[in-house]
Amino acid sequence: MKITAIRHVRGFDVARPVSIGVMLGIMLPLVFLPLLSIFIYGTSKGLGTFWSSLIAPEAIFALKLSMVTSFWATVFNVIFGLFAAYVLSRYDFWGRNAVIVTISLPTAIPTAVAGFALLLLWGPYGTLGRLLNPQGAQLMFTPYAIILANIFVTFPLAFGVIKPVFDTMSQSLEEASATIGATRWQTFWHVTLPSLRGAIVSGALLTFARAVGEFGSTILVSGNLALRTQTAPLYIFAKFNEGQIEAANAIAIVLALLSFVIFSVLFFARDWLEFEAREA
Amino acid sequence: MTPRMKLESGDVHVSWAPDRKEKAGVAASVRGLSKRFKKARVLEDVSFDVAEGESLVLLGASGSGKTTILRIMAGLEQPDTGSVILHGKDVTDLPARERGVGVIFQAYALFPRMTVEKNIAYGLKIRHRPRKERRETVDRLIELVQLQQHRKKYPWQLSGGQQQRVAIARTLAYKPQVLLFDEPFGALDAQTRVHLRREIRALLRQVKVPSVFITHDQEEALELGDRIAVLNNGNLEQVGTPDEVYNHPATEYVATFLGAANLLLGVVTRGSVEIGTARLPAEKETRRFRDGQSVKLVFRPEDVCLSPDANLIEGCRRLANGVIEEVSFVGSYERLNVRLDLAHRQQSGDLAPVYQVTINTPERMTGVPIMATRPKPEANATKYKPGDRVAVGLTSFSVLPNYTLARQR
Repeated sequence: MKITAIRHVRGFDVARPVSIGVMLGIMLPLVFLPLLSIFIYGTSKGLGTFWSSLIAPEAIFALKLSMVTSFWATVFNVIFGLFAAYVLSRYDFWGRNAVIVTISLPTAIPTAVAGFALLLLWGPYGTLGRLLNPQGAQLMFTPYAIILANIFVTFPLAFGVIKPVFDTMSQSLEEASATIGATRWQTFWHVTLPSLRGAIVSGALLTFARAVGEFGSTILVSGNLALRTQTAPLYIFAKFNEGQIEAANAIAIVLALLSFVIFSVLFFARDWLEFEAREA
Repeated sequence: MTPRMKLESGDVHVSWAPDRKEKAGVAASVRGLSKRFKKARVLEDVSFDVAEGESLVLLGASGSGKTTILRIMAGLEQPDTGSVILHGKDVTDLPARERGVGVIFQAYALFPRMTVEKNIAYGLKIRHRPRKERRETVDRLIELVQLQQHRKKYPWQLSGGQQQRVAIARTLAYKPQVLLFDEPFGALDAQTRVHLRREIRALLRQVKVPSVFITHDQEEALELGDRIAVLNNGNLEQVGTPDEVYNHPATEYVATFLGAANLLLGVVTRGSVEIGTARLPAEKETRRFRDGQSVKLVFRPEDVCLSPDANLIEGCRRLANGVIEEVSFVGSYERLNVRLDLAHRQQSGDLAPVYQVTINTPERMTGVPIMATRPKPEANATKYKPGDRVAVGLTSFSVLPNYTLARQR
């Protein structure tokens, strides 16, 4: 992408440094300083303390649990988002628009309410949880509950990225494939899916980034048990409450770096991801 | 310069048409196709045949239903009534993928994530043909369409003409029963368009696959089609060779859609057409009409002959006298607007013409305007200027029934 601005004055344009300065000045206390303080306080007692709080078994476990639960939530939401986008852009049916709006709803609901709702449904005395209980099965307060909560709160993200690509995709590609003799499945696999590569990757990264940081719903459904159901954000909160700021900060640094990497990939891989746009 | 497709006569002939027993005969036909979209009637009882190895052009304005016919033949759309028959087999109820037709889409619809090779091999890949056969077919087709140095490229790296050749090769790979071209030159500039349609015409002669083109461009239709089917508002107006539809249009629409045409109303009278007071001898042309029947006289501007005196050239039948109103050069030929005097009785042929119309006084501008064109040599030999008086004759014309009046009677 080429960056240009219209020339409004002769010679040196003071608007350029001023506007850039104002933007950075506003961002400094709101974004940069909070991020910076995590790094400063996280390492204030020396790198040794930072390292030991990082490799504490509870911390390692919390990070691992966050990765694993977010991973499975991402896998599910990308596959389902793909499927739902296909169905909703190919078939018209009564209530189709209502479904599209409903899919987008979980982002608007406070995450704590989402966790609460899951408890009401799957908890020991919940509508569906009651049915599980006689068999001795328990969904809530296990890692599965965390995956469930992650799926719920990140539900619209992958779908939201994939659906527009489906909508703008030229119908004639699939028609061409059909006239050449491909079955529905062959067309999807060889023609449709490759064109969605960019949308799938960015949808997955967005979902994963959002799921790793999820707190509100997780704290309600997981039970927040260290070394059992405590994810990284819950660990940070717990350590902060115990007054162990360094331990909390060490993990916060990891999470901040992780999302920095994810969004960098999203930004710099854009050209590669939007490869198909050149054709459309 | 883009490499041309190989057209040399010494080429080894490879037929990309499926092997069939019967050599000649009907390759594809549609029977009584009708289609409605909501309330709008798109097709009305359309039937035509495409012969083996023939190319048929469906010509019509936008909204004439030509795209719908193509999509129905391809299996991408279902007709309300009627059937599609490919090599004797009724395929109306078969889905697109089981019909074995090749569609060249308007924007080519090449798969953006596949190279030229992979695009061409796609039809064989999904048919699970052995790797060796795939490679050989791709090699031969890439050579046929002269894209050897582009085989590893992606569609967006190719020019429009090259993309089109890939699209054709991609369909030829699975030996289609019929090729369907959807406005194949719509996305190209005028020069490339002319160049490419000659290439495609030559390529089709070589591969001998029956083809259906759709277009709204009459010049394209005349050049590409062995036969032309003219569509108007979902109705098939005429099917015939380019010569037939151009020189002997069956309807007024065909006459005016395929090039410029002059139209005069007349009445059949004893072997001639009477237009106002003028009488045009037309023994042969009026044979199918009865005396007193109201008709339309249709003739092309290039079929008008003019003479400063009463002596028209051999084979030119005298129509009336007229006055030159405007002379303009249109590149390769000269165009003349002539006002015909049809209100006053003409003298017999050899007497000097009596002129009753002028272009100078508005109250006497009663003549009927027609358009005539002359090739440059003729224009240079006899120059006309506005106001010149001429005798007007026709070398060729068609007489069509005048249905509008017939209905009123």
